[in-house]
Amino acid sequence: MLMTRQEIFDKLKKLLVAADSGNLAITENCTEQSRLREDFGMNSVNILYMVIAIEEAFGIVFDDVGVNAFATVGEAIDYIERKLR
Amino acid sequence: MNAKEYFSQFADPAEFERIVEKPSVTAMWRDCVAEFADRDAIVWKGTHHTFAQLDSDVAGFRTLLRRTAPDAKRVGILSANSYDFVKAYLAVVTSGRTAVILPPHLDAKSVFGCSMMFSVDAIVYQPALRENVSLCQTPLLDITQTCDEMLAMTDRDASDPCVMMFTGGTTGKSKCALLSHGAVMQGTVNGCYGVNPVFCQRYLLVLPLSHVFGLIRNLMTALYTGSALWICENNKNMFRDIAVFKPTVLVLVPALAEMALSLSKQFHKNMVGEDLCYIICGAAAVAPYLVEEYDKIGVRLLPGYGLTESANLVSGNPEALRYPDSVGFPYPHQELKIVDGELWIRGNNMMDGYIGGDENGFDADGWFHTGDLARIDERGLLWITGRTKEVIVLPNGENVSPAELEARFNALPFIQDSQVFEDVAENGRHFLALEVVPRQTVLSKMEQENPEEFILSELEKVNASLPAFQRVTRIVVRDSDFARSPSMKIVRYKKC
Repeated sequence: MLMTRQEIFDKLKKLLVAADSGNLAITENCTEQSRLREDFGMNSVNILYMVIAIEEAFGIVFDDVGVNAFATVGEAIDYIERKLR
Repeated sequence: MNAKEYFSQFADPAEFERIVEKPSVTAMWRDCVAEFADRDAIVWKGTHHTFAQLDSDVAGFRTLLRRTAPDAKRVGILSANSYDFVKAYLAVVTSGRTAVILPPHLDAKSVFGCSMMFSVDAIVYQPALRENVSLCQTPLLDITQTCDEMLAMTDRDASDPCVMMFTGGTTGKSKCALLSHGAVMQGTVNGCYGVNPVFCQRYLLVLPLSHVFGLIRNLMTALYTGSALWICENNKNMFRDIAVFKPTVLVLVPALAEMALSLSKQFHKNMVGEDLCYIICGAAAVAPYLVEEYDKIGVRLLPGYGLTESANLVSGNPEALRYPDSVGFPYPHQELKIVDGELWIRGNNMMDGYIGGDENGFDADGWFHTGDLARIDERGLLWITGRTKEVIVLPNGENVSPAELEARFNALPFIQDSQVFEDVAENGRHFLALEVVPRQTVLSKMEQENPEEFILSELEKVNASLPAFQRVTRIVVRDSDFARSPSMKIVRYKKC
């Protein structure tokens, strides 16, 4: 059964927290509009971690995207949704 | 004990005898092709290129260089990691020219500025970066071009110029260091010490070839040892590449080693592969925690120390399990001394000098002042304790090295990174502050009711053990990582 958008969001949020050392801004203020770099302060290593962790956790393989492909949490969810379909 | 005697303890004698110094990259490449012709040299996008095939492609590209810019002495290379980068780099340095490695993130204005400042006569570029060379008036050559007509190598001597590379510029303006063939080869051979077996290994490349750690320790040492080098096309695929290629040696910066470990714990699988024997780790301070944790999965993580100006490798630590916070024993053919706490070096691996500026980097007696604070113990092991430029001079005249203090706080297993810096209060009083990033994988297992309170109390214990003038007066537990430079080093605060 396909995951709902909310389920993807919840799972992604956990990965984001792991990718950035328990970032409280993610734990407390994460929304689909949150910007990974500006709002969470994620750096290139965190974002690389996030991309790899998404592939592992969701069992998907990203196309040839760069680590800067997603500006917001919502964009990452859009991408995951498309791949899961 | 001299360096070779020291490192011979950690090698099989027959392997150690094969580590022979070569005067130039041309001499090395000729010997490599003769000895390893049919072995894989580079694996790129699933295609295996043997040493013989790479040599043919290099010879063809030398022909293209002669046709495009016959008189060019310095040739810029603007490309991300790829098989073509390796081909072009070898073609340039084996055709009597000097390779100027231009970092691929440079924009058009910067590429133009570099080409003027460093007298670049021609540029080899990756088609995706065509726009970035659009301002340059020099001859241009598409790096993907091939040619069936082969041009022979132009032999070089140890003193001939080989490659120009940008320094990291972590604490100041980036400079361009000129490395001779002899320096590049010394750095290349130094990469063989401390690992066993040395020859015919499987390396994976994730570091940029525009960084000396990637170019010399990862690429050149792999070629020298007849090893196969898998070049990751996109770092997000590095663990899938590892699963396919099963590397035996990885060359990583600490941030990537930490990431691999953390992902392994999160997904309960060994992300670095069952065949991995060594992680060569450097370019930033290595936490002892990484040495210990990788040992648990049978991987030896070896910290080392190097600079762009020293063709990367100055020292390496094959005894990391006993001395995890040391950067190891200095490699052969170097002199090291410590003056007022600062490490000075001279030796075969040192650059000829900086290009395009007023200073060449050496004092009148030929010593290079590294800017790193260091100590050497009675066994000859080297410890880096900070940077001279980062030293904080307190109002009472006492000097504090942030890196030395950070190493004390980082020794706590639940601290991933830390930064000590000088801050100023509203009343104008200067004080030492500490910010730490917790290591969540460790912290979560400790089941503390209030993790932040626990961290603060443990940090306070370390703080209280320091001499009074070194104690920090404010501690912040961060909830996100520090900002990092393109080479993944922590960007230091400059608050005063």
